Parts: sequence; C-alpha cells; structure tokens
Amino acid sequence: MKGLARDLGRMVAKERVRTDPEDLFAYGGDATYYVRRGKPDAVVLPENTEEVSDVMKFAFHNAIPVTPRGAGSGLSGGCTPLHGGIVLDMKRMGRILEINRRNMSARVEAGVVLADFHKAVKKEGLFYPPNPQSMNVCTLGGNVATRACGPHGVKYGATGDYVMGLEVVLPDGSLIAPGGLAARSSAGYDLTHLFAGSEGTLGVITKANLRLLALPPAHRTAVVACESIEQAGDTVSEILAGGTLPAMIEFLPQMAIIVMNNYITPPLITEGQAYLLIDLDGTQDAIQAQADQILGICRRMGVLDIRVIEDEKEAETYWTARSNLGAMLLTVMKKAINEDVAVPRDRIPEFVREIQNMASTLSKVVLGIGGHAGDGNMHPSIFFPEVNKEAENEAKETIRKVVRLGLSMGGTVSGEHGIGFHKAEFLHWELGDIQIRLLKRIKKAFDPKGIMNPGKLWKDGR
Amino acid sequence: MLDLNQYRDMMAKCSHCGLCQATCPVYLEDFLQTHLARARVDLIRAVLVDGEIPVTKRFREVLDRCLLCTNCSRTCPAGVPVDEIVTAARDQVYQGKRRNPVRRRLLRRFMNQRGMKGLMGMAGSVAHKMGFTPEDLPAPASKPFEKRYKGKIPAKGKARARVAYFVGCATNTLYPDTGKAVVNVLAHNDIEVLIPEGQVCCGMPALAEGDLPLVQEMMRKNIPVLAGCDVDAIVTDCTSCGMMFRAKAAKTLPEDDALHPQAEALAAKVWEVTDYLNQVGLSIDPPALSESYTYHTPCHRGWTPTVDDAPRGLLGKIPDAELVELENPDKCCGAGGTFFMDFKELATDIRSRKLADIHQTGAETVLTQCPACRSYLRTQLKDGRVTHPIVLLARAYGI
Repeated sequence: MKGLARDLGRMVAKERVRTDPEDLFAYGGDATYYVRRGKPDAVVLPENTEEVSDVMKFAFHNAIPVTPRGAGSGLSGGCTPLHGGIVLDMKRMGRILEINRRNMSARVEAGVVLADFHKAVKKEGLFYPPNPQSMNVCTLGGNVATRACGPHGVKYGATGDYVMGLEVVLPDGSLIAPGGLAARSSAGYDLTHLFAGSEGTLGVITKANLRLLALPPAHRTAVVACESIEQAGDTVSEILAGGTLPAMIEFLPQMAIIVMNNYITPPLITEGQAYLLIDLDGTQDAIQAQADQILGICRRMGVLDIRVIEDEKEAETYWTARSNLGAMLLTVMKKAINEDVAVPRDRIPEFVREIQNMASTLSKVVLGIGGHAGDGNMHPSIFFPEVNKEAENEAKETIRKVVRLGLSMGGTVSGEHGIGFHKAEFLHWELGDIQIRLLKRIKKAFDPKGIMNPGKLWKDGR
Repeated sequence: MLDLNQYRDMMAKCSHCGLCQATCPVYLEDFLQTHLARARVDLIRAVLVDGEIPVTKRFREVLDRCLLCTNCSRTCPAGVPVDEIVTAARDQVYQGKRRNPVRRRLLRRFMNQRGMKGLMGMAGSVAHKMGFTPEDLPAPASKPFEKRYKGKIPAKGKARARVAYFVGCATNTLYPDTGKAVVNVLAHNDIEVLIPEGQVCCGMPALAEGDLPLVQEMMRKNIPVLAGCDVDAIVTDCTSCGMMFRAKAAKTLPEDDALHPQAEALAAKVWEVTDYLNQVGLSIDPPALSESYTYHTPCHRGWTPTVDDAPRGLLGKIPDAELVELENPDKCCGAGGTFFMDFKELATDIRSRKLADIHQTGAETVLTQCPACRSYLRTQLKDGRVTHPIVLLARAYGI
C-alpha cells in the first residue's frame, strides 16, 4: 500500500509507524505462528486513544483491515493479520490510570502487562485474580478481548467477571464507553461483555475498568499424587462438593511431573497416574481448616502421596514449573500445539481417559493432557518429536477428534484461549448455523465494512 | 562451533510464546516486537538460514540492537540460546568487519595486551582528560594490576587450596583495586593464588562483535596457559570472563580442534571469586563493618546456578554490613560491553531505571561483579560508590 507510512505518519509520530519488511515480518502472528502467519502492510504503535481513533477513521475511510494486538502471546492466532492492513500494537498504551481502594476498582490502558498490574494492586493490599500462564507478558486488553482465565478460575472466575466498563474505539473512529465503575448495571444490552471476548472484531479496546478483591493474606500449596485418573477426578469433585474451594486446583499427568521434577526439590514420586497441584488462600485459620478437610478427603480416597508446602517461596517453584510446563516440554520436543477444550467437571476423568486412548493410537505426534481441574478447563497438547507433513496431518486430525470429543460431552471448544483463526471451524460445530449467522449480524452492526480483525471467529471471518 | 547452521534446531524450538518480553531490556524500552528475541531469532532464520529476506541495513540494526545480556535465554522455557544465535549471525553477516579496520586493530591490540600499554595507554589517558573518549568510559588506572602483582601469592596460613586467577582486561586496566582485593581476600583465607603469565583477554569483546577468528586467537593463548596450571580452580572477578570460559569457550572452537577437549575440561574449573569463596567457605570470620550496600546482579550470570546469589551469601557473613535490596536487582544497567556507545540514548534510558532503583535504596555502596556495569553506573553515582563485592569483604578484613 503506497503512501501508507506517510499517511499514518500524519496521525502518529513517524518512529511509531513501521513499514520495513523486517518489522512487518515480526508482526506476522502470535504463538500459533507455526499454523499460519500473516503480513501486515504497516505496524502502528499508538500512545493514546486519540491516535487510535485517528487511525481507525483513516482505516474506515479507506477500508483497510486493522488487527489490534497486545503481547502476541495468544494461542489461537487472534492477532494474526490474515488480510494484511494495519496492526495496532497496543503495548505503548501501558499506563495504570487509577487504583481505587475505596471502590475496589482500577482503570487501566489496554497495554498494561498483567503481572505488572498484579504487582501494583498487591501494593495496595488488593487482588486481581485472573492469571493466564502468560501473565508475565500478556496484556489486560488481550485478556479482556479473549476472556482469558488461568488456574484461579475455579474460585475466582475469568477476566469477564472483572470487567466493569470499557473504552472502545469503534471501526469508524468514534468512541464509546460501555459500563462504568459501578458494581452493578442493568442498563440495557451489556455491550461491555460483548466486547469481552470479541477478539478485536468489533472495535479496539483502549481502556478497561476492572473490579478488584481484597488480597488473601496467606497461601499454601499441596501436591496430591493419585493412583489413577479417576481417583484424581473423584478427589477434585469431593473437595469441591465438600465445601472447600481452593484458589487453584490443577490436574497434571504423570508425564508433566517427570518434566517438572527437574525444577522441584525434592522430586515428587512418579508412580502416580495423575496429580493435583492445589493452592489454598485466605487467613491462616481458614487455610488450616481447608487443608485439614482436603487431607481428610485425600486419605479417605486412598491417594498415593500428599505433600504440603508451607514455605511460600518454595511453593512458587512448583507454580513456576507448572506455568512453564508447555514450553519446557519443548526442550525435548520440536513443536507443540496447545488446546483448551473445557468439559463439565464431572466428565473430566472420562475425557482424560479417552484422550489417553487416543494418544496410544498415535505414531507421529505425542498427545498429552493437563488442565485446570476445578473448572473442567483442560489442555490437551500435541507435541512433535519431528516436524513433517505426516506429523502435521496426524496433529490436525487429532485436534479435530479432541474437540469433537469435548463437544460430545457438553463442553466448549475454548475455555480461555479464544477462537482466533485456529478454532474458527470448531466454533461452527459448537454454535451451529443459526448462532453463527446471528454473530455475523452483530459484527455487521458494529463493523459494516468488515475491517476489524478480518478472518477470525468463523470460517470466512467477515 | 558458533555456526548458524548448527543452531537450526535450536531456532526451531522457539515456540513464539513471547515470554522474552518480560526481561529483554531493549524491548522494554522500544516496545517493538522486531527488537525482541522471538522476532530476532525468527528473522535471523529467515534472512541468514533460509534466505527468505535479504540482508538490509534494518536487519543489521536489529542484529546490533541486542545487548547480548542473555536475559531472554534465561527466561526462555525452551532454553533457546539467543545470545549465541545473535553472535553467530553477527559472525556470518560481518565476518570480522563490523567495525572499520583501524578500530578492529585497536581492539585486537587491546585484547592481546589486556588494556592499553605504553604510549597507547598514555595517549588514552591524555585523550580521556581532553574529553576525547566517550564520557562514560573511565580513565585507566595509573598502574595496571599486572604491574602490581605477579606470580605466586602465598596463603596466609597453611594453604587449603590453590587457585589460578584470570585477570580480566577491565580489572587489569581500570580497576586494579578489585584485583588487589581478590588476591588479598583469597590469601587471607588460606588459599594460594597463582597469576598465570601469558593470559590475554577472555575474548568476550570480539564475541560480541561476531569476530570469531579474534575470539579463537584469544582462546589459543589463554587455554594452554590456564590448562597448564596445577590448581583446584580458576577464579575470575568478572562474570563475563567467567561466562566466556565456562559456557562459551569450547563453542568458539571447531569440535575437532586440538584445544577443544582442553577448553571443555577447563570450563568445569572456572568460578567467579565470590561464588568460589561461598562454596569453599571463609576460614576467617570477617570483622564487623558498618556499611549499607545494595547489589546489582550482572546479566552474565546464567553460567552457574549460584553466581547470582553468591555475594549475598558471602557478604551476609560481615556483621553490621546491611544489604538493602534493589526492587529489581536482576534488571540490566544498559552497558552491554560497548553497546552503550553504539546506542547511547537507549542505553541511557535503560540505565536511568537502574539508577532510580539504586537511589531508592539509600545504600552507601553499590556492588556488582561486572566491570562494565560498574563503569557505566559509576559516572552517574558518587565516585567509588560502585565496586566489586570482594572489595567490601577486603574492606571488612582491613586488607
């Protein structure tokens, strides 16, 4: 697109408009780059809402596709510029505008990094629970756009539950601010939560108002080694039905523990078929009561081993190993594809068992499974010992089978990663034609020219 | 050997998770994906391995705008050795010609002499006084370390160990006080110190230039000298020299090179001095020293699991000396060898965050094992406030 850099340079400082081939290459996608990458015509790094609005007016007038992005840590290709155009890198809009202790709320720009936000609210004695495992880099704007979640989901819910209001630049450059800072609202259609999960297809999220909680004073971590997957599943159900709500309760297969043991001292026993990594939070008394109850349940279930880690620094090594698990497996494997099918909690053992059966039939790729057991958000992952056409085909076919299996159990194609282009086909399976048509009409109402992140959510993406 | 083709698999291991965004000092200033490890590695692959994109000025800028701080490699869950990939790429692109021939000749001479000797040194010193060298470059010491200490320095009591001391260029030329403290503290703690003759620069400055022949020239001099010492350990006060010998030396030589096995055997014996002392323990408890200090962890710390924490453990043994931690002790200071001269504005921005952190501690003394950090921070802090941790220990001993 000739003259694009010059035109954009009138709205945004020249050094924040990039059109060199190397820069366009760098903005080709996210952590799904191996599936498909795009190539934008320009990268723009706005520093405020006015600049975003100016760029959108220009793009709208000239019908140029616009793909907003945060950290590009997504696992569904949500920020891959499939149709070229302008990539809006929101990272320079990274200011925390307000942390309001009295209203237990915060106002932030879209580019704020989640871990920085965690740190900032913690300083005020407050707590923002969503904790996707990319939290050291992912942005709040990206979190809202995908309704990201993480292990805290079981007790605290996902990003959508914390969004009180937004500032959004619509495709024609106009500005809206759905929601607000009040704890409740029954004011008509809930546009705030329509944008939460819209993956940049309706407009550009520039600011968010987020709900905060009081910081739990203490934590305790426990690891439970179970002799079978069913036992792990039953233990989770018993713990939750018994009235104990851990802050995190992660399901890990044997294979994960073998890898994590390199980072944990002393190493965990590896005889278990399945493991539960649990975090309890609250006051010391409350934690003690929860821990006693869980220990009782685990003993009654006859689990193989229970380890309680009292020291919070030591506990951190377990959670860090857990966060890095997927990428750590890449030290032995060549490539990985991470899925996020969620199933009803009571179907987890069956789902895992089926996945393992499926895994035993594979020859070119390795299929593993872990996940957030408390809310049924599972992570089947495919690992490539070698990358070649046959492996790619087997992986593709396996993903389709896994998704179909999850849906057949009343689950969903995406628990927390979003749809992007990677799962567009599967969204049709889950929603069916009528719902997809409805979504398209909603999209059209916001984005009549179809310039916002085209190619996403459904198959033709417009 | 550092050859891009050998890094093909390692490059493919990058899953593009983007976790390197959390620790890359350059990215955290620029906020541009192109200046981030995942894009750098992918670009290097596309340009130099697969030839999808030609080598351009912009590509060279992307290659150069990297501190080689290794923060991304340590953050990377897949362990992609980004610094080695960037170095190998620089080698392939520049083939020893990154700088003009005069500058390379000067660098080679500097590395062979571990500093500027004779007329060159005087000229350097005069030029510095006249303001000709970059303002952040410290003046050379009046007398280099090697003129002050030579040969064997006996242990104070009965020797319980014997070490060879590899004296880096910076200690030799700029900070002989560090060298003096190393020698005295080791001897004071019943460790005999040997200063091997014939050692030259560790090779790191050439490695950063992607000038592999020059690195190898240094290795061919250093390895026989160090391998020939009958010692329990080889200590250095500089984390970058340590990283060079422990983690990079063998990789800079062809695998069939006669020196390769020696380089590998040598690697296991190399220690940073505070790390070494922390491992073997002090034989004499240090007396009290009423001083508050803070500790800036050098970026080149990934070559042993303990070097980053070693000064904390060692200096924690000095009664009354108080460590005031930085909020971000691990964050880069921006120096990056000579990076701060090539990208002055960027380096200054990175440094200003470090300085703000330092000021907030209110500590009297700033400690770090890296002479480049020391000299780059020094100009902005009261002179003498920045020094090597071993100097504080020597001060406590009163030696």
